[in-house]
Amino acid sequence: MAMHFIFSDTAVLLFDFWSVHSPAGMALSVLVVLLLAVLYEGIKVGKAKLLHQVLVNLPTSISQQAIAETDGESAGSDSSPVSRTHHRWYLCHFGQSLIHVIQVVIGYFIMLAVMSYNTWIFLGVVLGSAVGYYLAYPLLSMA
Amino acid sequence: MDHSHHMEMSYTDPNSTMPPSHHHPTTSASHSHGGGDSNMMMMMMPMTFYFGFENVQLLFSGLVINTAGEMAGAFVAVFLLAMFYEGLKIARESLLRKSQVSIRYNSMPVPGPNGTILMETHKTVGQQMLSFPHLLQTVLHIIQVVISYFLMLIFMTYNGYLCIAVAAGAGTGYFLFSWKKAVVVDITEHCH
Repeated sequence: MAMHFIFSDTAVLLFDFWSVHSPAGMALSVLVVLLLAVLYEGIKVGKAKLLHQVLVNLPTSISQQAIAETDGESAGSDSSPVSRTHHRWYLCHFGQSLIHVIQVVIGYFIMLAVMSYNTWIFLGVVLGSAVGYYLAYPLLSMA
Repeated sequence: MDHSHHMEMSYTDPNSTMPPSHHHPTTSASHSHGGGDSNMMMMMMPMTFYFGFENVQLLFSGLVINTAGEMAGAFVAVFLLAMFYEGLKIARESLLRKSQVSIRYNSMPVPGPNGTILMETHKTVGQQMLSFPHLLQTVLHIIQVVISYFLMLIFMTYNGYLCIAVAAGAGTGYFLFSWKKAVVVDITEHCH
């Protein structure tokens, strides 16, 4: 395995079936890796926005439950909306954990693609990260 | 806080007892893993994903997995390592937030509009360099960097079971620790 960056039209990326022989195949692979990097940046921003949305929407109900608990009132009729909110909170958080797993896996896939030491693939990853950051991060500051 | 993994490629030969002549790219040494194509260049390290538990090198020269039982143990260990990494990230964040509660106010005289002197107050939130919280953060940072590189190297073995262990451990760790963090942020912070 070459331990330096090379320009080449042949590579095997990640899986056995993804073997590239020709310039057209290499161009397609660079495009796929670029989109993967764009998706990775997008998922990072998406996760942060999702967390922000959840925290903005749910704090009132959770603080209501905290107030009810400190008052010592037995939440008889109040328990159902609170438990529904907690159920929603668990679902939201479970969804976020799945998104986190996808983010971790895509991050590692991109690392392994760069590990092929193919310069085209590396440039595709860098360009994809740049495009993804450019498109996604303005969405982070929007409320 | 940037949660992205370090993507640096620091290639270290996992088997230090391998003689340097094996690094020649046209060697035909066959690796007993499945999925090896019949090219001229057979890689010493697998470069595609495979599922197997025979002769799997894991990080250190003494750690070789040969049986299904050892692979199960390695799966659990890698799972716990990834979970610990996520927990360490969350713990560092909350420690940083707690140590930055101490705010320093700094007033200085500033010339005002009519020749009067106004006192302008600067608020600095931060840590001193030699304070204990900062030293603790540094030590935890080093541990986090080392563990993140270990996880990268484990993923680099291209072993399907170990990669699934890393991903599942990261997801479970995020689920367990980030949930706790979010609830705490909810109740104790009045404005985000």
